[in-house]
Amino acid sequence: MKIKKVSYLLFGLCIALPSWAKEIPATAEMNIEFVVPDIQASIYARPYIAVWIEDKQRKPVRTIQLWVGQDEWLKDLRSWWRKVGRDDRAVVDAVTSATRPAGKYRFSWDGLDQQGKRVEQGEYTFYVEAVREHGGRNYLRQKIQLAEKDFELVLEPTEETGQITLNYQVK
Amino acid sequence: MMLNKKVNALVIAGSMLAGLAFSSVASAHPRWILPSHFTISKEGGDWLTFDVTASHGTFVMDKPAGSETAEIIMPDGHKERPDFVLRGKRRSVFDFYFAEEGTYKVQVNGTPRYVTNFKVGKRDTNKRMRVNKAERAAKLPEGARDVMTVAGFTRAETYITSGKPSEKAFELEGTYLELKPITHPADIVATEPVRFQLFFNGKAQADVKVEITRDGTVYRNHQEQIDVVSDKEGYIEFTPEVAGRYILKASHKGKLADNPLADVMRANVHLTFEAVLP
Repeated sequence: MKIKKVSYLLFGLCIALPSWAKEIPATAEMNIEFVVPDIQASIYARPYIAVWIEDKQRKPVRTIQLWVGQDEWLKDLRSWWRKVGRDDRAVVDAVTSATRPAGKYRFSWDGLDQQGKRVEQGEYTFYVEAVREHGGRNYLRQKIQLAEKDFELVLEPTEETGQITLNYQVK
Repeated sequence: MMLNKKVNALVIAGSMLAGLAFSSVASAHPRWILPSHFTISKEGGDWLTFDVTASHGTFVMDKPAGSETAEIIMPDGHKERPDFVLRGKRRSVFDFYFAEEGTYKVQVNGTPRYVTNFKVGKRDTNKRMRVNKAERAAKLPEGARDVMTVAGFTRAETYITSGKPSEKAFELEGTYLELKPITHPADIVATEPVRFQLFFNGKAQADVKVEITRDGTVYRNHQEQIDVVSDKEGYIEFTPEVAGRYILKASHKGKLADNPLADVMRANVHLTFEAVLP
């Protein structure tokens, strides 16, 4: 009887104690190489591009890059606007930078969420949405595992995006 | 005798024609409203323009419909009227500046129309008269029987969201047929389910027939409409598979208990919405 009581107690403790969510290492960093494709068109406007991370529950975690022009057209980034942009104008202003011409770009994500807190280890999704006036829209998703293991992933080019390389390093 | 028969035939033909003419007015083209955009991302807001027409085709402009009763329910719940209204030959148009953040409801509702149906004469001729229940006693002919007054009311509405969505504009008036979005119209995405709830005179209503049709009926051989019926709690659920603009038409015929103007109500809700790209 005593053994049963103890095991019940232990079981209860396991349920009661909060699951210890482990953050990604402080030295972890994701470096991204991003190609804006060279497109020959009679009317060419630089694409509006949003790069962001969502967690396993599809909750946006951080907008890594937002290359846009006028806010009138932010809604053309249909998915990013609905999931992230429309809820917080202050965040949009903070992350906004200018549209880029065709070329290869490098930027990195420090592993912090929009509030500056390091994210927990686990499964995330890397998103890219690119929209070009008089052109098309491409919406890319890539599942990533952020923990203590390095990885490199390549996203194949689409009409509106060139090759994108994700390099997660825990130094 | 022969002359009498001829005259009788003419009278019957005449009343039938009158009946037909009347029914074409009564089963009129459905009124709906089509906004230029459903979403605004510009800081400080933007102008939108709205087409109001009465048409069976989606989205085709057939018959003129006025916008004199157009109202915009603001994110905080108060109502405004549009400034610029043009009444044209196939539609009326109005513009409005959506300055505040939140969700607005734009509606062109009109007023209830009353038609009294009755039978008269040896041959039980069906007749109709544009009078309400309170007026009919004075206007109906002697011997009129099976008298029933039907009130008709159609809501034409749509939702616009600027920046962060809100829900105050969803609040119901508690009259006639109404639709309450459960899925926020700013969250309708192609291939994802949409949930709405139907109410009749303020109470959740079962068995409301709803059809949802996407843009472009002129350019395909079939309506390809989605047909649903509200469940016992008034809910409907459907999935728009293709991104685009849709018209939802809900109709309900319900008995009225305390209404001095009508016995029965035929109420409709025509909601225009968009399903964004997934």
